[in-house]
Amino acid sequence: MVIRQAREVLRIEAEGILDLIERIDHEFVAAVDMIMRAKGRVIFTGMGKSGLVGRKISATFNSTGTSSLFLHPAEAIHGDLGMVTPEDVILAISNSGQTTEINTLLPILRDMGAKIIVFTGRIESPMAHHADVVIDVGVEREACPLGLAPTASTTAALAMGDALAVALLSRRRFSQKDFKKFHPGGNLGQRLSIKVKEVMLTGAHIPKVLIGTGILAAVEEINAKNMGATLIIDSDEKVAGILCDGDLRRAFLKGEGIYGMKVEEIMTPLPKTMSEDLTTGEALALMELHQITHLISVDENGRAKGMVHLHDLLGREGFRTNGITDCTERSGR
Amino acid sequence: MALPIAPRGLVADLITPLKADRSIDETGLERLLKRVAPHVQALLLASPHTGEGTALDPAQRRELLERTRAFLAPSPMPVMVWVTQDTREETHTTLRLLSQSLHPQGSSVPVFWVDTPLYYHSNRGLPDHYRVLCAASKQPFILHNDPQVMEAVARPFKRRNIRTAILKELATIEGMAGLLFSGTLERAHHYRKACRPESRFRIYDGDESHFLDHPSMSGTASPGANLAPRAWHTITRSSLQLSDSEKVYPDHLQQIWELGEYLRNLRDLYRPFPVPAIKGVLAHMDIIETPTCTTPQKDMTQTVKKMRHLMGQFGDA
Repeated sequence: MVIRQAREVLRIEAEGILDLIERIDHEFVAAVDMIMRAKGRVIFTGMGKSGLVGRKISATFNSTGTSSLFLHPAEAIHGDLGMVTPEDVILAISNSGQTTEINTLLPILRDMGAKIIVFTGRIESPMAHHADVVIDVGVEREACPLGLAPTASTTAALAMGDALAVALLSRRRFSQKDFKKFHPGGNLGQRLSIKVKEVMLTGAHIPKVLIGTGILAAVEEINAKNMGATLIIDSDEKVAGILCDGDLRRAFLKGEGIYGMKVEEIMTPLPKTMSEDLTTGEALALMELHQITHLISVDENGRAKGMVHLHDLLGREGFRTNGITDCTERSGR
Repeated sequence: MALPIAPRGLVADLITPLKADRSIDETGLERLLKRVAPHVQALLLASPHTGEGTALDPAQRRELLERTRAFLAPSPMPVMVWVTQDTREETHTTLRLLSQSLHPQGSSVPVFWVDTPLYYHSNRGLPDHYRVLCAASKQPFILHNDPQVMEAVARPFKRRNIRTAILKELATIEGMAGLLFSGTLERAHHYRKACRPESRFRIYDGDESHFLDHPSMSGTASPGANLAPRAWHTITRSSLQLSDSEKVYPDHLQQIWELGEYLRNLRDLYRPFPVPAIKGVLAHMDIIETPTCTTPQKDMTQTVKKMRHLMGQFGDA
């Protein structure tokens, strides 16, 4: 009896999802286009179980590169509406399409200029009338008796949300790098979850030359340490700047007799620093923020303690700790 | 003029109140409608299981329809009438007779013809048969698939279910509004899949037990609604997620659960002989004049007593 019932429930839920396949149409494409064009975020909203589904899809969106958050409809009208901007896309979920809180909220959001996508089982419902795009997630049968809890309908909404997330992911050409950025806890993100101090180059492995050094000598240091840059330090070993490949290229383009120059003439002063307690993922985010490929860690006197290169954070090989390439997995250490 | 769309929700599978001489008990019908109609989305008249359908002649079905429409007007509540007869020709004749009763009243009550095609027709050629019927009728049709009814026909080798491929074709015919389905859950899935492109096509649970377990989102045709229309209304709205009542009182789920158990227990009592049992209770409550049925009479005294006791606990007796 129990086994039969369980099988029936699974069958009903599976059929609910299978039915969605034929309903993927121009409305779904319009939803993808709308989210792709939006400059803001995708804001999910829904009450009860639909709200829980919305939270999960929102998490999936965030994991796959679409900035998203969840807005509780009841909280929204008590101040949380402030988080919505006209550039956002609202994705409201309600199987009946008659949820009072949502139907109160949607016209307000629409007036604010936000675009609205609706997941509903009733495409003729009042909620659907507020929407720019309506996606039909209706099921023919619920698995749970008496309407005690939505079952097949929430499963269908969840599955449709996944379909949307994956379609967006594909449209954005979401890369492995992006995935790592959002998954520091997963296998792919493992590399980016460890502390910078564990992987940065330290001591004699840090490329550095004194202020007053000639350009050619600096290039030799860059080549020798294989970091694509060298730090410029003063007589107290305090970091004064960084000379990287980009600085050299820009100097060459100026055509001002580079071979006779000193490093301080073309270096970038005050290089970006980081705390050695950052994770490699956070260091990567910092590099992306400043559009740079190196970060250094300094002590309280401004002396270099360590240095990392972008490739050290993202490279497929193991970490190059202090000049030695380590191809073992982090977990195996 | 566009044909009406079949409603979602609770369809009361109405018993046909009969006097001792087996004529229609018009006073009983009126009292029954007064009790049931406010709580349902549609009424099904003369159904083969509950409404004495196979035993009612065309004139009785017409009388039933006319009295019901007169009672309901000017309400726009849809009425569904079972039109099937033993043969294709007889069914045509009944349809014509019933159609005539709709003119020239111009009543606001939408009417749907409910037909069990395999009762008098094979799967072969069924779409053509309905193209002709739908073209001739101004009222939409609801198909009725019920293997149990087909068993009563007792013709060897006769198919008991509409073939899925045939149903798929039937659903595309203009004037085809839905299906009243009894059968296995697996067949229900196949039918749903076949009819999915026709978004206006409803598939009602013809077996109210199925609806209580795994509700169809179109609704159900319920004999139990004769007895406990309010409880069935609440359960149907909850099952179709049309209710906001959970926001009104905190023990909503507890109450829904108890109501569901009540309807299940009531159904278990009347299920062996639904029509005599339901009529027995309604006669005992002085809603209908007599418990007369066209099927052989049974002694329902104990069953009626138990049902009334149970109904009394929920304010229905």
